[in-house]
Amino acid sequence: MRPASESPVVRFTQVSKRFLLRRNAAGSVKELCLAALHPSRRETHRELWALRDVTFDIHAGEAVAFVGRNGSGKSTLLKLVAGITAPTQGQVLVTRDARIGTLIELGIGFHGELSARDNVYLNAAIHGLSRREIDEVYPAILDYSGLADFADQPVRNFSSGMHMRLGFSVAMQLRPDILLLDEVFAVGDAAFQAQCLDTMRAYRHRGGTLLFVSHEPESVRQICDRVIVLDAGAVVYDGGVDEGLEAYARLSASRGIDVAGVDEHPAPASPPRA
Amino acid sequence: MWHNLVALPRYRGLIQTLVVRDLKARYRGSVLGFFWSFINPLLLLLIYNFVFSTVMPGVRPADLEPYALFMFCGILPWTWFSSSLLESSSTLLSGGNLIKKVLFPAEVLPIVTVLANMAHFFLGLPILVGFLVYYQRPLDPVELLWFPVIVLVQFVLTIGLALLLSALTVHFRDLKDLLGNLLTLWFFATPIIYPISQAPDYMRWAMNLNPMTHLAISYQEVLFYVGPHGHWRWLMSLALLAVMTFLLGYFVFDRLRDSFAEEV
Repeated sequence: MRPASESPVVRFTQVSKRFLLRRNAAGSVKELCLAALHPSRRETHRELWALRDVTFDIHAGEAVAFVGRNGSGKSTLLKLVAGITAPTQGQVLVTRDARIGTLIELGIGFHGELSARDNVYLNAAIHGLSRREIDEVYPAILDYSGLADFADQPVRNFSSGMHMRLGFSVAMQLRPDILLLDEVFAVGDAAFQAQCLDTMRAYRHRGGTLLFVSHEPESVRQICDRVIVLDAGAVVYDGGVDEGLEAYARLSASRGIDVAGVDEHPAPASPPRA
Repeated sequence: MWHNLVALPRYRGLIQTLVVRDLKARYRGSVLGFFWSFINPLLLLLIYNFVFSTVMPGVRPADLEPYALFMFCGILPWTWFSSSLLESSSTLLSGGNLIKKVLFPAEVLPIVTVLANMAHFFLGLPILVGFLVYYQRPLDPVELLWFPVIVLVQFVLTIGLALLLSALTVHFRDLKDLLGNLLTLWFFATPIIYPISQAPDYMRWAMNLNPMTHLAISYQEVLFYVGPHGHWRWLMSLALLAVMTFLLGYFVFDRLRDSFAEEV
């Protein structure tokens, strides 16, 4: 393991994230009018604390796996790092000049009617690459995906595995400093999964920082050197890989799925603000 | 707000890519493809022409010839305007993946909608030019200089309204249906299929409050009527209003921005 640099690249300080789930039908004028007339119909919200008091530091070059059952707050955490949503309480600090690769989903913006080539340009543009940058990396993307023969085919003819291959190939050419990965290997065949793991190792070798959400102990073992276990939005373990995976296994065995603490009480009818 | 507004030109590459996606994807797989951009306004024109020339020929003023050309001057920009608003009201919802899964400048989406529809508008222009040539209309080159100005005013106004609508629809989904009906009413309240001179005097003040009135009249003055563009004072006031609408739309959009990723 390389020595971690002095200041962390990602720092969470007592971060909490609350979602307000509307109980009555989603925002409509009718509901507003009815709510104004009948106090009993006033919109109530279910409060969902997706994260509670989460604190950790991640240093450059670390590869951290976030594990936990469904609904434990893993994806929310990645979205906070990416800046897609803002924390309700606490502070999220991400080093300023880092290029963040957000792979919560592969192939964002793909349009079935467009060719693989068009979709690569589209997807890369959405991830913030300029046209010239894409021109530069396009051959590498096509090469990596192994789909060169299908470059002019519309992607609606692609299998879901090919779809994902293409998305992942774009993602790997974004050259991020911090990579946020959300269980994206799940679909590919064995050969492509092996290729992904190799790429991840090479990425780490270059000194890239990785935040990885996974349910799959094997890939965590192969790529990561630290595990953070989340349960009901709180950190229950932070440390070595083997102990972490054990802690997660115990957690899964002890209880079935239950979603993070839900409190119910009326909330103001105004739209929730982040 | 200003900070984000200043950053907007940085996304022009992204905007361009998304507009091209929209245009390419829209007619991909259909037999006539891009020709639909010509055919759609042409069919609409044929319908109105049939109604006013064959079904009720007495309704229109006799001296307004060729009536089809007159209507076309208004229908073409109106289609741009109304499709832009209608589509932008759902653009954030349909583009939810972009907003939820990557850090993405959401204002790009309504802007792309307006630009893609503007491209269709431009594609419809050759038909208009064809009509002008066919009827041998005298066109004043100096007057034609107003044309890009009118387009620009409409562009800014439409973007402003599109930003406003797209942001509000995230919280009030009903707006989309409401808008469909409102646009039908708005179409008939705008002097497009009838000249403003036919509107009763007591309605004039209300029609003058409608920004689309002045755009339609401006297009008609430049492309249809002979003589100088007499409506430019109204157009300039409208330009001011358009800029204010844009700023208001952007302001509202920016205020609601943080809620999009969770509400979409």
